[in-house]
Amino acid sequence: MAVRRRDAAANERASTAGSPCGKCCGRGVFTSGGSGPIRGSGGCASDEMSAFLGGALRSRASHRLWSSAPLCATDTIFALSSGQGKCGVAVVRVSGPASALALRGLTGPDRPPAPRTAALRSIFHPQSKEILDRGLVFWFPGPHSFTGEDSAEFHVHGGPAVVSGVLDALGSLPGLRPAEAGEFTRRAFHAGKLGLTEVEGLGDLIHAETEAQRRQALRQMAGDLAQLYRDWSQRLTQCLAHVEAFIDFGEDDLIEDGVLDQVDNSVAQLQTEITCHLHDGRKGERLRSGVQVVIAGETNAGKSSLLNLLCRRPAAIVSPIAGTTRDVVETCLDIGGFPVLLSDTAGLRETADAVEQEGVRRAREKVEQADLTLVVVDATQLPTDPLQVPVFLGAHLLAVLPHGVGLEESLRHCILVLNKSDLLPVEQVEKTQTFLNKNPGLPPASLLSCHTSHGLENFMTSLQSRLSSLCGDPLAGTPSLTQARHRAHLHECFQALGQYQQYRDVDLALAAEGVRLALTGLGRITGKVGAEEILDIIFRDFCIGK
Amino acid sequence: MLARRVLNRPRSLASPSSWAASARTVTACDVIVVGGGHAGTEAAAAATRVGAETLLVTQKIQTIGALSCNPSLGGVGKGQLVREVDALDGLMGRAGDWAGVHFSILNRSKGPAVWGPRAQLDRPRYRQFIQAELLSMPRLTVVEGSVEELLVSEPDPEKPGKHRVTGVRMADTGRIILARSVVLTTGTFLSGSLFMGQTTSPGGRMGDPPSGSGLSRSLKEVLGLRLGRLRTGTPPRIFKRSVDLSLAQLQLPDQRPTPFSFISNGTHCKPEEQLPCYLINTTPGVERVVRESLHLNSHIQQDTRGPRYCPSIESRVLRFPGRQHQVWLEPEGLTSDLLYPQGLSMTMPPDLQVRLLREIPALRKAEIQAPGYGVQYDFVCPTQLFPSLEVRSAQGLFLAGQINGTTGYEEAAAQGVWAGVSAGRRALSLPPLSLSRTQSYIGVLIDDLVGRGITEPYRMFTSRAEFRTSLRPDNADLRLTLKGYCDIGCVSPRRYEEAVRMKAGLSEALSALQDITLSPTRWREKLPQAAVSANKSGIMSAEEVLQYKDVSFEMLASAFPDVLGPYVEFAERLKIEAMYRPHCEKQRREIERILQEESLSLPQDVDYLSLPVSLSQEVRELLDRVRPATLGAASRLPGMTPAAILHLLNYITRTPQRDRSAERSSTPDPQNLSDESRDSFPCVPVSQ
Repeated sequence: MAVRRRDAAANERASTAGSPCGKCCGRGVFTSGGSGPIRGSGGCASDEMSAFLGGALRSRASHRLWSSAPLCATDTIFALSSGQGKCGVAVVRVSGPASALALRGLTGPDRPPAPRTAALRSIFHPQSKEILDRGLVFWFPGPHSFTGEDSAEFHVHGGPAVVSGVLDALGSLPGLRPAEAGEFTRRAFHAGKLGLTEVEGLGDLIHAETEAQRRQALRQMAGDLAQLYRDWSQRLTQCLAHVEAFIDFGEDDLIEDGVLDQVDNSVAQLQTEITCHLHDGRKGERLRSGVQVVIAGETNAGKSSLLNLLCRRPAAIVSPIAGTTRDVVETCLDIGGFPVLLSDTAGLRETADAVEQEGVRRAREKVEQADLTLVVVDATQLPTDPLQVPVFLGAHLLAVLPHGVGLEESLRHCILVLNKSDLLPVEQVEKTQTFLNKNPGLPPASLLSCHTSHGLENFMTSLQSRLSSLCGDPLAGTPSLTQARHRAHLHECFQALGQYQQYRDVDLALAAEGVRLALTGLGRITGKVGAEEILDIIFRDFCIGK
Repeated sequence: MLARRVLNRPRSLASPSSWAASARTVTACDVIVVGGGHAGTEAAAAATRVGAETLLVTQKIQTIGALSCNPSLGGVGKGQLVREVDALDGLMGRAGDWAGVHFSILNRSKGPAVWGPRAQLDRPRYRQFIQAELLSMPRLTVVEGSVEELLVSEPDPEKPGKHRVTGVRMADTGRIILARSVVLTTGTFLSGSLFMGQTTSPGGRMGDPPSGSGLSRSLKEVLGLRLGRLRTGTPPRIFKRSVDLSLAQLQLPDQRPTPFSFISNGTHCKPEEQLPCYLINTTPGVERVVRESLHLNSHIQQDTRGPRYCPSIESRVLRFPGRQHQVWLEPEGLTSDLLYPQGLSMTMPPDLQVRLLREIPALRKAEIQAPGYGVQYDFVCPTQLFPSLEVRSAQGLFLAGQINGTTGYEEAAAQGVWAGVSAGRRALSLPPLSLSRTQSYIGVLIDDLVGRGITEPYRMFTSRAEFRTSLRPDNADLRLTLKGYCDIGCVSPRRYEEAVRMKAGLSEALSALQDITLSPTRWREKLPQAAVSANKSGIMSAEEVLQYKDVSFEMLASAFPDVLGPYVEFAERLKIEAMYRPHCEKQRREIERILQEESLSLPQDVDYLSLPVSLSQEVRELLDRVRPATLGAASRLPGMTPAAILHLLNYITRTPQRDRSAERSSTPDPQNLSDESRDSFPCVPVSQ
């Protein structure tokens, strides 16, 4: 009679010697093994100089209420905090306990700047020691800073090469990561640094930033890269599900050890692929900076004429034939000092022509990624009764803008352009313009003629005001920052997979934790994966008998 | 402090003898618990521990503490729940140590965070222990009978809720019993139907009468609660003498049984007297019988959602055809002549059940004592509950166990403890508390139930706990017992003192380990077994060395007998602590963030649709539908945006009254908490 123990399956493995935990840090006070560690490290004296020199990694987490403790206190974040557009100086802001480290890393250990005083320094890359720029640096020891934490600022020359050089340099330091949308302001809020009136506006700002970031990610993720990340995420989810199955059900069900061998292979494979990807010099097509403005609408409404009018040259072919533009025509413009990437798209209509269908598909994709959409409508089709106008325009907007969750949002990011005003009787032009000025619950609308340029001034004013609010948002249209964020998360993912391998034979719970962390890192790029999804895979792949 | 105050509360209620006096009398107590299963017994016991005069109503005193299905306790994930129930001074762990006949730690090779303490139980012994405990408990009265309806009155306008439950009316006598809190733990008896073959009969468990339909009506029609329907099943019981055990694989228990309870000195069963289990496999014949009998099996044909784990043998072979499936033959007790075939729950007609069993070689001559059957029953969609397990719309009504859509003894007991604590505290006018998912599996369980709801019977897995490396079975006492005594008031002084001693001992021992520091070379001389790597640099503490796989605390203690000798009794726990501490430190930040957000309760009476805050319509509707209890719960909702969270945060802090209470939540001083501020705080988190 064979003797079998419920946990016999994995006993052999337990005896294969594994590496000891090498990552232990002797810091911290023992507080009741998991129940007590809720307490933060308490306040600390603000000896500013010593904080600058030595206390770089000291946590300022306070165990008091949220109002005095920033969320996630120990991460140090950085971002370009000046808006884009034509500017001589760009401001890169760093906040968190490692701010001092960042300042020392980029400007050298000598001569720390006095708190809250400008100091001229050479700024160099901490690894390559290459000089990036010469600029002003500031050191704001907490709590007397915008976020209430230690923070630092680098005021450098505004060129894209310098800015991305500084961002790269910061990203290479331990403990620093690119900021998430609205994180600085969020921290400031939590530190009680914002007044009530400022808080009111903050929500909207965060909203705008999140949206801008979502659109940016969408652009970045379009195409092969998205496919690659999604594939990794799926494989990693599968790995985690199988490890979890082995932990939760391995004892009583026929889940063979082979399951873990498969996971081993997958993890090793993923590690290789992620490293290759991180070291791959090709970053894909360089994403151009600028506010993405897309012209969309029905065929023959005058979209290409509008493009030509805005760039003062015949960049797109115009003709009276509907469906002339079939592909996306892009052009870089400077409008009122703001960098704009203007795209003209194919007219939206049902068509049997395969080429035009593809054009329409691309047009819709463009609209989804746009920061601002100019919806062009043929004004000669406007109903003569002004009361019918909102319904008519509403139907047009619905036909052009993406449906579903994003609709409310897209309405806020669009301008209606009623073209061909020269073909309308003068009194109707006036009547319509007066009516539109009353803002009947529609996005801003301008009546103009691309043919005679009548009404253009009015339209430009409204366009520039939208651009200025969009450019005030430092995160919009900076692909390098999105890329830096993605790289940081991929690096996290890679390191966490190392934890899996380190503990695979020692402690499967800790190994699984590694896969979970890896998936969290990747999830920050591709979207979250929850516990229920893991369980779904477990129950799909295994027959759980008890 | 609180516990002592409550325990000394003067008795203000009628003495138990008055219950039996006459029919139709109106009597009163603090808490009524309906149901004597795992949830009900823990709820009744917890309510009395908190200090409430409690009445347990059950159909039969005899069946209190009955194991209706499998004769086992614990396992992976479930074992953690047993340890936590025990840490809060519940009954289940000690009952398991008394009744266990086969102890083993599952997952022994996979890391202490996911170890699963488990035992096979002797059914009568388990029942006896629970009954003896309950019947001798001060402040607890047990009565036989069934409840016909809930008494409902106008709500207290100061608190959220549309109704207030004020007591129950008994079925047979019509007697009215008033109480400040009522806990329902009716298991599968809520509109339960039993299925076997093509026959259906009303009931929640074979052999017991169905309970009155009045309760179901009270919940559905009077209180307007949303109910759903679930199903489960149990296997036939087989006579041991008819099984050819030589054809089965023997499964032996651990040689040194590990008790469930932190305060048990050992298990009642001697190590050498433990009983084995047996493993057998299904054959293609089993699958054939299932397929041929499908038309005679109405349970399996209906599409009420059954569990994906613990499925019937019918659904196992239908979902994964052409495979062997494992079946464990488990002993039913020391003197029982029955075996329980774990994995063979089935609902086909009894003659076919015997045919199916006999397709397995070891069961070729099997005879059954009772056939398997299926149960379908109503559950209350648990998103209608507060984290205290009180029904949102009905003040004073608490639900625990299968009625909330869970499955398993341990899940039921865990909710029972919490519902009992909450019901008792409400009756004594103490503010409600909630357990965080960062502190305990009980917190994970309740947060999942009330925050997300269920679509199938909910069972605990370790993978449901994000912080499982911190929520280990070994440290449940440190996580819960101290709070259980100081903040919750449900832990006895004796257990508290033991936990304090343990905490101090571990803490001292860890500092002693940290204080021993040597160079790697010296470590290689002193402790060659550790095989400290030659290219390791810097000095290393004994704590770091203890993290090495092949180093035990005993080895270190014999190398440093003077310093470490006194702590040998904590050896196993120290090893685990040392191993996990670096990782728990890393998790601490995330835990802190969640706790901060959870400490901010959202008012329950707020009208999200008209809140003067800039929220999108989608977010408003989401919040209105789910009504998250805390900001943390809100931020976990799919579809929630960071901006919306910020607006909510701003809204909470802008209201001075709420601000006041939020601060209190970090240091609860329940006595001073006014009713007004409790209105906006359905649950104060147990302090950190």
